[in-house]
Amino acid sequence: MKYPVALLFAAGLLFAASQQASAHAVVTESSLKTHPIEINHPTEVALHFNSGVELALSRVFLVSKGDVYHPLEIAKGKKPGQMLIKVPALEEGDYAIKYKVFAADGHLTEDVIRFKVSASK
Amino acid sequence: MYMQGLANFIDDFLGGLMLISYALVVGSVLWSFVILRVYATDRASDGSILASVKVLHLGASALAASVGTKLVIKGMVLASTLGELPMEAYAGTVQFQAGVLRFLLALGFVVFARKLLKEPTAKSSWQAVAALTVPLVISGAWLVHAVGRFEDRGILMFTTVIHQLAAAVWFGCVAQLMMLWQAGRKDEGAKALWPVAITRFAWLGVTSVVLLIGTGTFLAWNYIGTWDGLFGTGYGSLVITKNWLFLVALGFAYLNNRAGKQWRENGGLSNLNNKVPYYIEAETFILIGILFIAATLSSQPPSVDIPDRTAAVSEVVEMFMPHVPRITSPSHQELLAGEAGRVAVVNKIPSVAAQEWSDYNHNIAGLFLTIMGVLAIASYVKNRHLEWTKYWPVGFMGLSIFLFFRSDAETWPLGPIGFWESTFGNGEVFQHRIATTVAMVIGYMELQARLHAERRKIQFILPILSAFGGILLLTHAHAEFELKSEFLIQATHTTMGLLAVIMASGRWLELRMVTAEGYQEGRVAGVVSMVAMLLIGVLMVFYREPLI
Repeated sequence: MKYPVALLFAAGLLFAASQQASAHAVVTESSLKTHPIEINHPTEVALHFNSGVELALSRVFLVSKGDVYHPLEIAKGKKPGQMLIKVPALEEGDYAIKYKVFAADGHLTEDVIRFKVSASK
Repeated sequence: MYMQGLANFIDDFLGGLMLISYALVVGSVLWSFVILRVYATDRASDGSILASVKVLHLGASALAASVGTKLVIKGMVLASTLGELPMEAYAGTVQFQAGVLRFLLALGFVVFARKLLKEPTAKSSWQAVAALTVPLVISGAWLVHAVGRFEDRGILMFTTVIHQLAAAVWFGCVAQLMMLWQAGRKDEGAKALWPVAITRFAWLGVTSVVLLIGTGTFLAWNYIGTWDGLFGTGYGSLVITKNWLFLVALGFAYLNNRAGKQWRENGGLSNLNNKVPYYIEAETFILIGILFIAATLSSQPPSVDIPDRTAAVSEVVEMFMPHVPRITSPSHQELLAGEAGRVAVVNKIPSVAAQEWSDYNHNIAGLFLTIMGVLAIASYVKNRHLEWTKYWPVGFMGLSIFLFFRSDAETWPLGPIGFWESTFGNGEVFQHRIATTVAMVIGYMELQARLHAERRKIQFILPILSAFGGILLLTHAHAEFELKSEFLIQATHTTMGLLAVIMASGRWLELRMVTAEGYQEGRVAGVVSMVAMLLIGVLMVFYREPLI
């Protein structure tokens, strides 16, 4: 009896360690690549996720120099897995969008998209 | 933040417990109907059925407790991460609703398992258990990754559920085989059933394997898609590792099946009684490893979704190529000077000092393990001049002290972040703390075990904890890294985790086969176990971290 119980206990431990912080909802397309943000121009950024996302359980922040966080308004896009983010007018500089999204499969994902705002050439 | 790390870990722990509980429940039901034939006139003895029901009850209770608690903990994690808990939105998610359904089903299993504990042959209770199994299996479809996908959602959900079912049947029935072997010590009916059960399980096992291969191939085709995806992503490398362990498990299954065949042909019980029980235990370790990797896969983005973040095969090969070990470390001040830039979200600056710090940690730890591996293998040679090599486990204690000071430079005792704050506020630091403790415990216990052969219980600490350590390696989270860098690190850690599971099962088999019949196999398993440890050391000696 002792050894099987030990094995089952070990199984519990192993499974326990197996469930890590998740990274299931990843961005597969970003409008930041195709339409860079212009200086002092409010922009709607579109992110496409590989999975359905629960908007009510998701948060998106603009991160500016010095890692200062500003919450951003989000909305559902027209395409499946699309999230629209309202980014305010920004000065020239380096920024990031940090998102925390709850995927339809129950995984909470945090990730960062870095971008630069610069004068158009 | 302080509680978030702990809440995440508990959430993850419960997720794992849910999976194993599910496998025990589903496997027990199939076992009872197919192997014990509880519904037929030629059913197994009451003792055999009672042993099966105990596993069913244990699995169902654990499933109900873990699902119920997970729903609460998930809410706490959400509240901690989002700063509030939008309860209505949370209750409206598919995950919450499928979780509640599974919780209620698990409670149903508990009720009927309790009835069966009092009356193991009650047909009405078995009918209810069978009826509950169908929705339990189907509800899993809304708890897997496929539910969130946009293409081929239905077929992927269906295939994943069948894949999970096949794995649950294999693992659950193997757990039941262990319980039957134990029950046979007290119950003559269970003892008589043992060889019959082995042969009856053969076709059920083969069916599971065929289903696993078929559905696994389909899922890999859809989630990986290309060779680059297989070799250049975390998802792909876990699938490769899973398949290596799958082959080892099949090897044990073949040995069990062969012993059953021998019994059918000539009534020989020697292998069935003296080797198969221990093969099954080792197989359990391997199956746990496989299931654990399967669970880890759920935390990885499928390869097809990250083609722009896939590593080239040459980059993966480079991670495993021999390098001169780094035996000098940057100073603590140099390391901390680069930390602010390295962890910054905006204007992030990769830190060469952090890279070299990590290389040094891995390479020196690798030297510890390599030396221990060589000495441990030498200790199997019967030569009085080599007797001192049995003290090799002392190396684990030295390794533990080294890890304690070097794993997380920004935390106590070398860094500014306090011990408790860092331990419970950061999942990665938490894992490192556990690994440090595990290394110290392994070193002390294994030293006692090697010096005092009569202390049997202590001897089993190494395989259990090294399996646990292997799992930590397989789940080593570098959450702040870019996916490609993360994968290149993960590729080496996954390989080490695979070797650690082999090390654990080899040592377990060695300890369990210290019989006249199994002595030779036991020695071979012991040497294989130590070779696995040596290879982990060699991998770490050559480790080079990408600049991030």
